[in-house]
Amino acid sequence: MQVLKLINIGKVYGSKKSIKQYMALKNISFEVMEGEFIGVMGPSGSGKTTLLNILGSIDKPTTGRLIMGDKDITSLNKKQLAKHRIENIGFIFQDYNLLETMTLKENIILPLALSGHKPGVMEDKLKKISKNMGITKVLGKYPYEVSGGEQQRAAACRALITNPKIILADEPTGNLDSKSGKDLLELLSFINNEYKTTILMVTHDVFAASYCEKIMFIRDGEIYNELYAGNNKKEFFDSIIDVMSVLGGE
Amino acid sequence: MKLYKLALSNIKRNLKKYIMYFFSLSFSVFTAYTFFALLQNEYVLMAFKYDERYKSLLTSFGIVIMVFVMFFLISSNKSFIKARKKEISTYSLFGMTNARIGKLLFLEIIIVGFVALIIGIGVGIFFSKLIAMILLDISLVSFMGDIEFTISPKAAYITAIIFISIFSVMGLSGLRVINKFELVDLFKAHKVSEGRTKGAVIFLILSIILIGFGYYLASGSNPISVVNSSIPILVLVIIGTYLFFWGGLPKVLDIIKRNKGDYYRGVNLISTSGFSHRMKSIGTVMATIAVLSAVATTAIATGYTLYYNIENDVYEQLGYDMYFYGGQEKVLDDVEAVFKKHNIKIIKKLTIQRYTCPSSIEVSEVENSYFRITKEDYFRVYPESLYNKLMSISRCDYKPLKVRAGEAIYVYPFLNDRHRIADAVNGQELNFKDRELTVTSTIKSRLLFFGAKHMIVINDDDFNHLLKIGDITDTDRVGNTYDKVTVFTYEKSLKSTELNRELTKILFASTSGFRTAYNLYEESLQTFGLICFIGFFMGVVFILMTASLLYFKQIMAAEEERHQYRMLRKIGLDEDTERKVISKRLIPVFLIPLLIGIVHSIFAMKSADTIVFSNMIANENSYITVLLCSAVMYGIYAVVYSIFYFITKGQYSRIVKTERK
Repeated sequence: MQVLKLINIGKVYGSKKSIKQYMALKNISFEVMEGEFIGVMGPSGSGKTTLLNILGSIDKPTTGRLIMGDKDITSLNKKQLAKHRIENIGFIFQDYNLLETMTLKENIILPLALSGHKPGVMEDKLKKISKNMGITKVLGKYPYEVSGGEQQRAAACRALITNPKIILADEPTGNLDSKSGKDLLELLSFINNEYKTTILMVTHDVFAASYCEKIMFIRDGEIYNELYAGNNKKEFFDSIIDVMSVLGGE
Repeated sequence: MKLYKLALSNIKRNLKKYIMYFFSLSFSVFTAYTFFALLQNEYVLMAFKYDERYKSLLTSFGIVIMVFVMFFLISSNKSFIKARKKEISTYSLFGMTNARIGKLLFLEIIIVGFVALIIGIGVGIFFSKLIAMILLDISLVSFMGDIEFTISPKAAYITAIIFISIFSVMGLSGLRVINKFELVDLFKAHKVSEGRTKGAVIFLILSIILIGFGYYLASGSNPISVVNSSIPILVLVIIGTYLFFWGGLPKVLDIIKRNKGDYYRGVNLISTSGFSHRMKSIGTVMATIAVLSAVATTAIATGYTLYYNIENDVYEQLGYDMYFYGGQEKVLDDVEAVFKKHNIKIIKKLTIQRYTCPSSIEVSEVENSYFRITKEDYFRVYPESLYNKLMSISRCDYKPLKVRAGEAIYVYPFLNDRHRIADAVNGQELNFKDRELTVTSTIKSRLLFFGAKHMIVINDDDFNHLLKIGDITDTDRVGNTYDKVTVFTYEKSLKSTELNRELTKILFASTSGFRTAYNLYEESLQTFGLICFIGFFMGVVFILMTASLLYFKQIMAAEEERHQYRMLRKIGLDEDTERKVISKRLIPVFLIPLLIGIVHSIFAMKSADTIVFSNMIANENSYITVLLCSAVMYGIYAVVYSIFYFITKGQYSRIVKTERK
């Protein structure tokens, strides 16, 4: 079953009259199926962040349509979009983006609180998810009191707690050391396998990408290539490096 | 690029942030110039010079204002520098030394300060005439005139000197703030905890006890003990207030947080946690503002209540526009002629004989007051009908009395403690040759005493009988007949300066004593007018400065909280909810100090009522009148605060809405 469908998405920066127009995305179309773990790679300026922002409905495409389930997201107004984000999308950011004014617990339940759930429901969901993520002990602490890995896991809990249709991860390993980075990737795989949650991750880290099942490469705002993971992880890793060297990335 | 060019371009770039800063600087300069110019104004000098009290009052008022201006400027400067942390850190990163950055900021302060100085003094000069006129108008009854427009170079000079030194101190304190910055902190400014505090129950309880005890002392009914305990009251309430903001309010927030049903609603979760997170850094400012608000509202409310009641008080004291003792046969015709000459109508006129009776009551002590009646005293006596008649033609509004045979009503002039006096006097018996009168009730009034210390009103028949048998007489102890009293009410009594002058001359020459409402009104205005003015002036200065201090603190917070709102929007915070979050986040910052300030002030007004107003306002419950007058000022205070709240909210929203560049 498809979760997301992009039809001819294009994004132009700068006003239409000005000469300084810049096409960040050009006619991108693809589908995301339920349970997929997709990586998006590409050199800087290729349009990956723009794509992620549009998928997360933080930014509006200039042309094309974005369909989620049976809803046309591009036709929603601001308020509906906000609701859509809370209910259907979980975000994991590079710098965790936990609110430092709140405890980890409060951070995690924030999306539920914003959509008006009952405290009892929140507690139940929190209990289950934090146990799975192994951060039950630090729930009462504030972000600056715990390690980077714990912060990132809390951020993952926050993304998951609403049972979103898709999780969008923006360079999630960018700020972590290799051990914590590896932990997080295993965590994402675990989420993907255990909860059957669809994940779309933007990264330029080849190691991170090798955890995905499918990788889309974009260059100059267009899909350049796609790779599927086979059974051999090493092989997949090598072929990612091949494509990246052609693309001119790292 | 030269440093001053950089400074100039910084100011241009930060114009929006600078505008409020600039406004408050100019306002401080304006305040100072206005004040010094008032001290130099020859009309004001003429009006107030003869009284040394005023001079010391004005001077101490000036010192209070200056200390506060300094506190305000230094504090807002610090906030301002902190709000620009990122910018400063960039300079630092590019290798600018702290000393050089300090110099740069100092230059900026001097440039902005210089402009503010010129504008503040300019506006001060522009309004100086108006303000001097307001002062004279509310403090002098006969002030009609137009005063000349004057520019006071001395005031400008003093203001400039003071502010240049304040700016220098600001520059130095700014340098201290910069030196405390660590480069690495600068870059993760928003990640560093400002210091949460969970508060402590002990602080909460202690603050409530201290403030409560202060309130208890302040609302005591005995004026002497209230005056004596004024210092302890201040200390208790001020310490209590600070403890409340340091430890009590955080504890309250902590308790709120435990109420999950409410706290876990999205808006509350974000705003409460945000506010509680800042508690430690803003607690002291909020406490200071609460205390200052209390001072300002009390000053302004006292001023207004006094001013509002001066005219009432005049008539509560005199009852009529004029009265005099003796010499009726000589002066009555002259007096009427003067009225005719000035074409002013006499409304009522009555001449009466004064009667007295000896005291047979002994009240030696009413607890904690100077009240006493001895057998050496005498009573002023009125028959019920004459008393009611005199009251009906007076300028006051007293209910007519009804006295049954064998009873007497005791009238007391000043004391607050109605119940104690009533307890002491009621039931006492006045013994006469062939009958006894029992005091059955007491009323408070200052009218019709005409020189006596005690007064009773009795039944007409009793009066006539006692007069016949000689227990009531119109002679004093030595046997001299009392002068008759003539009372007048007439039109435009408080405005007829010339008439009053001529009346005073006639009465002074030929009567044994007289008073006019005009003269008393003028005296009261001279005494209270300046106090009212100082109350208003100080109130206005404090309101504007405390409110803009809160503004700065919040703008600084907005800069640091911006990334949070950015993240929240990504998660799915819609615009409506964001507005609600911002309101809930900012309202307590303005509301809590305001409310606590006003509550403090309500109790301070209770003390003021006990000490001053209860003797001045004739109502049974003078505190109600005081509160009504104060409420008007509290209302104005609240309105000004809400305006500042909306300005702050607008600016805060704008800041958190702009994405990081």
